[in-house]
Amino acid sequence: MSDQIKDINEDIRWAKINEDVLRSMENPRMGYWISVVVCLGLLSLAVGAEIYQYKTGIGVANLNWPQMWGLYIATFIFWIGMSHSGTLLSAILHITHADWRKPIYRFAEAMTTFTLMTAGLFPIIHLGRLWNMYWVLPYYSDRGIWPNFRSPLVWDAFAISTYLTSSALFLYIGSIPDLAICRDNARGWRKKLYTLLSLGWRGDDRQWRHFRKAYLVMACFLIPLAVSVHSIVSSDFAMSIMPGWHVTTFPPYFVAGALYSGCAGIITLFVLLRYYFRFEDYMTLAILDKTCKLTFAIAMVWTYLNLIEFSSVWYGHDMVAKELLISKFTGPYSPYFWAMLFFGSVVPFAMAFEKIRRSIRAMFIVSILLNIGMWLERWMIVAPTLSMSYEPFAFDVSWPSWVQWFIVLGSFGWFGLLFLIFVKIIPSVSMYEVKEMVFHRRHLAHKAIAEVMHQRTGDAKPVGGAGLEGAKP
Amino acid sequence: MSLDKMKRREFLKVLGWGGVGTTLAGCDMPTTVTVQEGEEEVVAYLAPEEYVIPGIGVWYATTCAQCGSGCGVHGRVREGRVLKLEGNPDSQVNRGKLCQAGQASLQAHYNPDRITAPRVRRNGQLETIGWDQALALLEEKVGPSSGLAGERFAWVTDTVSGHQAVLLKAWMEAVGSRHHYVHEAVNDAVWRAVCRDMLGDENPRLRIDKARVILSFGADFLSTWGSTVQNSARYAEFRTAPRGVLVQAEPKMTVTGANADLWVPVRPGAEGVLALAIANRLAAEHGRDLSKLPADVQQQVRAYDIDKAARITGVSAEHIARIAALLNERAPSLVLAGTPAEGHARGYDNVAAAMLLNIVLGNVGKTLESGAGFPFPQLAAKTGGNRELLDFAAALESKSFDVVFFKGANPVYTAPEALKLKEKLAGVPFKVAFTQFEDETAQQADLVLPLRSMLEDWGTHVPTAQPEQMLISLQQPLMEPLYPETRGFGDALLALLKLRKAPQYAAYDDYYAYLRNAFAALPATLKQGAISDQQFWTRAVQKGVIEVGAGSGSLTARVAAFTVAEPADQGRPYTLVPSAGANLHDGRYANLPWLQELPDPISKVVWDSWAEMHPITAAKIGAKTGDRVRIESDHGAIEAKVYIYKGMHPDAIAVPLGQGHEAYGRYAQGRGVNPLKILGLATETKTGELAHHATRVQVTRIADKVGDKLVKLGGSEAQLGRKLVATVTADVYARTEGEA
Amino acid sequence: MSLENILTDWSRYRKGLEQGGFHDYEHMWGMVIDLDKCTGCGACVVACYAENNLAVVGKDRFADGHAMHWLRIERYWDEPDLGEGRVAEYQHHGASFLPMHCQQCNAATCEPVCPVAATYHTPDGLNAQVYNRCIGSRYCSNNCPYRLRYFNFFSYYESSWPAPLHMQLNPDLTVRDKGVMEKCTFCVQRIRAAKDKAQMEDRKLTDGEFQPACVQTCPTSAMTFGDILDLHNPGKGVENTRAAALWRKHEVELGKTRQTKQDPDLRGYRIFEGLNTDPKVLFLERVREV
Repeated sequence: MSDQIKDINEDIRWAKINEDVLRSMENPRMGYWISVVVCLGLLSLAVGAEIYQYKTGIGVANLNWPQMWGLYIATFIFWIGMSHSGTLLSAILHITHADWRKPIYRFAEAMTTFTLMTAGLFPIIHLGRLWNMYWVLPYYSDRGIWPNFRSPLVWDAFAISTYLTSSALFLYIGSIPDLAICRDNARGWRKKLYTLLSLGWRGDDRQWRHFRKAYLVMACFLIPLAVSVHSIVSSDFAMSIMPGWHVTTFPPYFVAGALYSGCAGIITLFVLLRYYFRFEDYMTLAILDKTCKLTFAIAMVWTYLNLIEFSSVWYGHDMVAKELLISKFTGPYSPYFWAMLFFGSVVPFAMAFEKIRRSIRAMFIVSILLNIGMWLERWMIVAPTLSMSYEPFAFDVSWPSWVQWFIVLGSFGWFGLLFLIFVKIIPSVSMYEVKEMVFHRRHLAHKAIAEVMHQRTGDAKPVGGAGLEGAKP
Repeated sequence: MSLDKMKRREFLKVLGWGGVGTTLAGCDMPTTVTVQEGEEEVVAYLAPEEYVIPGIGVWYATTCAQCGSGCGVHGRVREGRVLKLEGNPDSQVNRGKLCQAGQASLQAHYNPDRITAPRVRRNGQLETIGWDQALALLEEKVGPSSGLAGERFAWVTDTVSGHQAVLLKAWMEAVGSRHHYVHEAVNDAVWRAVCRDMLGDENPRLRIDKARVILSFGADFLSTWGSTVQNSARYAEFRTAPRGVLVQAEPKMTVTGANADLWVPVRPGAEGVLALAIANRLAAEHGRDLSKLPADVQQQVRAYDIDKAARITGVSAEHIARIAALLNERAPSLVLAGTPAEGHARGYDNVAAAMLLNIVLGNVGKTLESGAGFPFPQLAAKTGGNRELLDFAAALESKSFDVVFFKGANPVYTAPEALKLKEKLAGVPFKVAFTQFEDETAQQADLVLPLRSMLEDWGTHVPTAQPEQMLISLQQPLMEPLYPETRGFGDALLALLKLRKAPQYAAYDDYYAYLRNAFAALPATLKQGAISDQQFWTRAVQKGVIEVGAGSGSLTARVAAFTVAEPADQGRPYTLVPSAGANLHDGRYANLPWLQELPDPISKVVWDSWAEMHPITAAKIGAKTGDRVRIESDHGAIEAKVYIYKGMHPDAIAVPLGQGHEAYGRYAQGRGVNPLKILGLATETKTGELAHHATRVQVTRIADKVGDKLVKLGGSEAQLGRKLVATVTADVYARTEGEA
Repeated sequence: MSLENILTDWSRYRKGLEQGGFHDYEHMWGMVIDLDKCTGCGACVVACYAENNLAVVGKDRFADGHAMHWLRIERYWDEPDLGEGRVAEYQHHGASFLPMHCQQCNAATCEPVCPVAATYHTPDGLNAQVYNRCIGSRYCSNNCPYRLRYFNFFSYYESSWPAPLHMQLNPDLTVRDKGVMEKCTFCVQRIRAAKDKAQMEDRKLTDGEFQPACVQTCPTSAMTFGDILDLHNPGKGVENTRAAALWRKHEVELGKTRQTKQDPDLRGYRIFEGLNTDPKVLFLERVREV
């Protein structure tokens, strides 16, 4: 398999695509159930911890004065970051005509939705009085009480809820033709479900035209939204006056970090899905290779932005910020800080080598390391600033308690559970787009058709010359 | 008037609403504390009491009884509960200000660990009984029927003053006993002795406000030494332009030391040498005339030039020279000496050497004024020190007493282990403790009689340090007693007196009646035009103080014979400094959670004991801040966490007083250690006081206990270049605000 | 109607932003703390506990950083610098004490970040905290450069006030439950009571009519409290209070990130003024003999 050069085998039968994908949605194997149990276990840890925290007070998380925020906020940003994967693959690559995205964008979109559903829990969990969380929303009130529109946390609430709705919608719209395939192949309750979900999709020309338009509009809408969401999340910090937070480059830094961890997350899930569902025909090494290249590029952007931040602090005249930077390198958090730099900036160089890019095992490990680095990055944004800022008397270093760790671990369980449900309900590979891709690749061999396809649907430009010789229309 | 009649004083009604007045906001779960049926009595406002206006707090004057300073306070009473105390501006002692202990006396009043009914020891256990039974028992054991000679009775109290002191004295006379031991673990007994011998007045008024420069040998006058609120007001005056200079010389930095312009570490016990060296310098460099001093004193002064003194005291010659120059330049000055100077075998001589400086510099009569002339000597505060404790223990040794009464003092806690006081007390057949709390001493008692708190009781107080306008401070109950089975100390004394001397005191139903009568009997000159005794009384109660006029008298400056000794430093390598702080004082405030949670001003440690040492000492011991050390004297060992800073003499290890209670309620019990326990029994040669700063100890680092932290407030100990506490030099200050 | 509401509020609020806060301050409560008089004793801290129903958290929670003291006295050891990198062996200059309670910043950094506007600026110039509105996001505390906001990490009403200690609780203000941020209010209940009284008697508030608990108790009178509204317009507004006089005397003006003084040696300064928080607590430098 390591000799997979092509993005996809264009000789694959369309029926086989349907069979392969639909098979993945049926008859869960042992591995699936084990995963469900593991995820449920992690989730129950978190639920237990949360009930305890709710009843006792948030102090049990070992948050304190001055460390008012901790892993909850760090993990919140981490999950928000992960959500950028889907948008990147579906929307950005869609409008840039990178058609190699097609076999892998569906689960990436699902990842977007589910990571947002995970991320959205954290600001609620971390609230002192979470039963009043709806107060951040501008709901109608005769008392004339509104949230404070100046607060980045309110922007967060807007941004995340908008992003969650849009990405869920995007995921759903993109799945409609596939849901129709499911409908046509399902029996029993599934049939009813898919009948309902596929909204009477028949695949006629008019439907396809509307579908294409809707999909494109959503894609165009999602891209600025995704960028703004993480910019807004970054403003939770950038809008403050704290050293290490009050950084102008935070919005691009956060967006780059988000895309980075999103890509790494895609690679991880890519490997898992390919392994569990035998999707070798669709999730090809060539696609992995391309994803890795993209990840590597983003890693370098992230590294660059890091360097910019360091140097702007270093050459700036803010004594306190400089102190904090030095403390990050040498202080109590330095092991984590160096680990973050190692995982985030050194490990990605593994992806400079094609051999590693094309190794399933290696990339699985690398992608997880990258995400550990990105999670550490978020923690290293939150914690050091709180531990030492302007007031020296308030310097303090504290470490999260088991409650925080349980809830953080549980969030992975929650995400995993959602994803496990997803793969059995919605095709995790887009059947119609894979068919489209296969179709286009087949016809790419025919220059004239390819030219037409390019003009009509935006397929890759026909490449002239060798390799296409002998193909007759 | 009886106790029942007192209850009718309308404005004292407890309405029984408890916590209802206080809603819990910011919570949607339990929103109010509800009155559970049958648990609390609900009194309707339909028939309001005259002085109770729901929602309106009314301020009443009374007196703080936390220490002997006698600060006047105003207490805010709302719905029958006293809520907050503030200084009474009419009292010249504290001029409307209050220290932390005064503020926290509310918690002594509302303390959950108060004793609510008399207890008697039966079969080794304390059992609750009623007052009738308690009084019957007292009659049996203490009354004439006991057949005990007067000398078989003894009282151990803390500082007492006012009419309670009068009644106590009357009782002593009635039974024919002389044994009233006034014990204060933190005291200035040696200073008072030196003042008596050299100034002719035991308790001179310290005019800190008038001084241009103060040299204090460990006298922590801002926090534990003397009348601290009064001193603080004078200190504020002292710091106002033209600004005075404070120099503090002591082995462990006190709060006063922390505020000094120049703080110098003195080797423990070498204060006298330092004082002599300053006198030497004053004569040698600044031409002060010492020729009128006694010859042996002159000789001693000559013996210590600054270089020699620098070697002995650890204070550099430059610093000694500078202190001398300051004292010479700026007049008047004031030289004080506190506990670290007193607590040695030759403590008296250390203090006398300091007092010599006052005489040489001509401060007597300027910054040291006579405190004499209080017109009612029988009411004056009776204070004491540790000698009384030693005397008491010695008397117990010879089985002198059959009945011992305790009030205020907690000698079982404050006595060094070596004194074996607990064992000796076991030999006393009947011990009575008048107390609010079950402290260590009450636990040894056979009869524990619960007292009312200072906010429930009548009383009069005469400040230990009288202001220029001398006064008697009046204490009135601000609310109905929380527990009906408690008695005021005055009432209890009257009851005791009636057992002995019925005819004279039979006229008084209670202490309140006695006080009314006593006030009526005050000379007319004090009544300031009041048309009746009732009006005078009402005015006094409203104002809280009766001014009795400026004192009269003058000080004499006479150098008493003394011989300063150099510290010997024998035995173990370090000297233990049992340091008192304003928060817990001698341990009496350890049951007040506000004061336990208030960080120590120097180390910022809360709820615990700690050991302070200099970095040099710490390096020798191999300890870092937060490490655990064992401090061992000849008489025992204590363990504490280390706090390292540069406000220590390297020979000294300081452990704060106040913790290490074995009883005394949930907030005090089982926290930290009591350094008094490991003190040796050496005494001060001239006064017989305990040489409490002379115990030598060995300090070793030991393994930490699991989960045991040094709990202190604050991260960084330095400002790290931020402009937090900015400073200007005195020269600049003199220019900008100078002679305002 | 709510929409109307939001529109009017919005324009007022927009205006407020452009013009730098209220323009119709009724009062502007401020403070002056003379660090040369402060002895670091801590009486003010206990007075604050007594007045404001502050919870006593106990040793373990104190260790965890859950103490609730609105007023803390910071103590710094400043090593006397002897030059050439040497430091003295002893603390010859004593300690540096700094009482820190909410600085009631006019441009408070805690205010804009609260998602539910639980903290806002009153026309008294106070930085108010509405406990009932607080949802406990703790952003305000994170954005306070002075770290002067304290969070109720637990419910303390049972542990801190076992009966009958609860009878001491001040009914003029609440006992805060878990999940709520709190901080120094300049004893707003006393301000409220004094204002009501003045209004009932149809007169203006006068200086010294009330004081916050800390100022009241300070044994050395190191703290001065008052209305500093007439800081820039002598003779206008309320009477010139002692606090305002001190502000003027030390030539410290509100609304500046760097003071321009006629005499730069005057002692008045505000902490972290350069961050443009515009704090209303004026510190007077400690004086030291050299």
